[in-house]
Amino acid sequence: MNSALPLTDDDLNAFADNRLTDERARQIAAVLEREPALAARVAEIRRLNAQLRDALDSWLAEPLPRTLITAAKAPRSRRRAGVFRAWPALAAAASLVVGVAIGWQLRGEMLQEAGTPVTFQRQAALTHALYAADANRPVEIWANEEERLVRWLSKRLSFQLHAPNLNTVGFALVGGRLVAGNEKPGAMFMYENADKQRISLLVRKDAERSRETAFRYAQEDGVSVFYWIDDACGYALSGNIDKQQLLSIARVVYGQLAVSEPVAPKN
Amino acid sequence: MSETLPDPDLVAALPRLRRYARVLTGDVNRADDLVQDTLARAWEKRQLWRAGSDLRAWLFTIMHNVHVNQFSIRRRELAESSLDADDGPVAGWQIPVRATQSDRIELNEVLTQIGRLPTDQREVLILAAVEELRYEDIARVQGVPIGTVMSRLNRAREKLRRMNADAHAPFKVVK
Repeated sequence: MNSALPLTDDDLNAFADNRLTDERARQIAAVLEREPALAARVAEIRRLNAQLRDALDSWLAEPLPRTLITAAKAPRSRRRAGVFRAWPALAAAASLVVGVAIGWQLRGEMLQEAGTPVTFQRQAALTHALYAADANRPVEIWANEEERLVRWLSKRLSFQLHAPNLNTVGFALVGGRLVAGNEKPGAMFMYENADKQRISLLVRKDAERSRETAFRYAQEDGVSVFYWIDDACGYALSGNIDKQQLLSIARVVYGQLAVSEPVAPKN
Repeated sequence: MSETLPDPDLVAALPRLRRYARVLTGDVNRADDLVQDTLARAWEKRQLWRAGSDLRAWLFTIMHNVHVNQFSIRRRELAESSLDADDGPVAGWQIPVRATQSDRIELNEVLTQIGRLPTDQREVLILAAVEELRYEDIARVQGVPIGTVMSRLNRAREKLRRMNADAHAPFKVVK
């Protein structure tokens, strides 16, 4: 594998998929500079990869059937958790009363479960709890592809998004993902500080026509959430950090979004 | 050794398992059945999971095997004899596109195209391009040597390239 030429199909595939050692990748990059036809093939593979991700990533935000969530739970805990066993009955009863918060203990599984209405702040807290704890895949697209991330989420939400820059308050962008909402999907940006603490910003286009911009605070299952509505968009900043610290970050986010003059959704 | 398979992680893996099941079956309902069977199998085999290893790849491996078994049973039921690796495209491939944006046509097109790939090739392509698994892990998922993975990946991309060239023939410069 020392000689750079000739390149095989395997080399091109592995290069396009970023699966080579740095050294080998450098060798191949050098060859590609001299071989436009090969470079075009790599570009084509990468374009296809992006297209496939684009097409298939939208499935990840779909609501999950309750049967699958049950099947994902340990058989033993399924037996022990009486609440869980009683869940279908509970849900049936609760569905008669619109707006009743139900299933308090069932944090993660409520998040994307089909047909479960959740308040925006609660959705933000649950989304944060689920993904901030995910070691491997907290985000769908990482910050090194920030431009693609913002473009993709903007396309999915049908309006121009901005990922706030929180470096001044010590939080760097980790990346983002599309998340399920009650009706429409939302976008989540995740940030991390030097202590590996994570906060996340959930954005969605709001159905209500509320123009109010006041910050509101909620605590959901130990997760602090500041949320506000601005220009028909809902924003929620969630984290397990100090309330005052979170508030000051929320102000930074708010300030940046105000300056960035988002292209207002047309409705 | 009995490691504990963490169920929050399994719940978190659900969207990806569902997606992979759709890629394998080409059918939303059959995909959810496959996820269900995979989870049951994962709990049965939880002793085999090593804490700290890639849970996603482990679950994909189980799903691959469950699917291969079910698929071969179905094929036997259909009185088909051959079980060669390069099985044909999924019969009745129908994956809905949820997007409502203007890119719908393009998404539909790419989904239709991957539906025309043999399952093994489609599997490798999605694991490499979308799940971004390492080739070694893909080889483990499919239980084949890494060279097989590479050649399946190459053939999948080559076929898609040709389909694309055909689909956009009037607009493409012929090399």
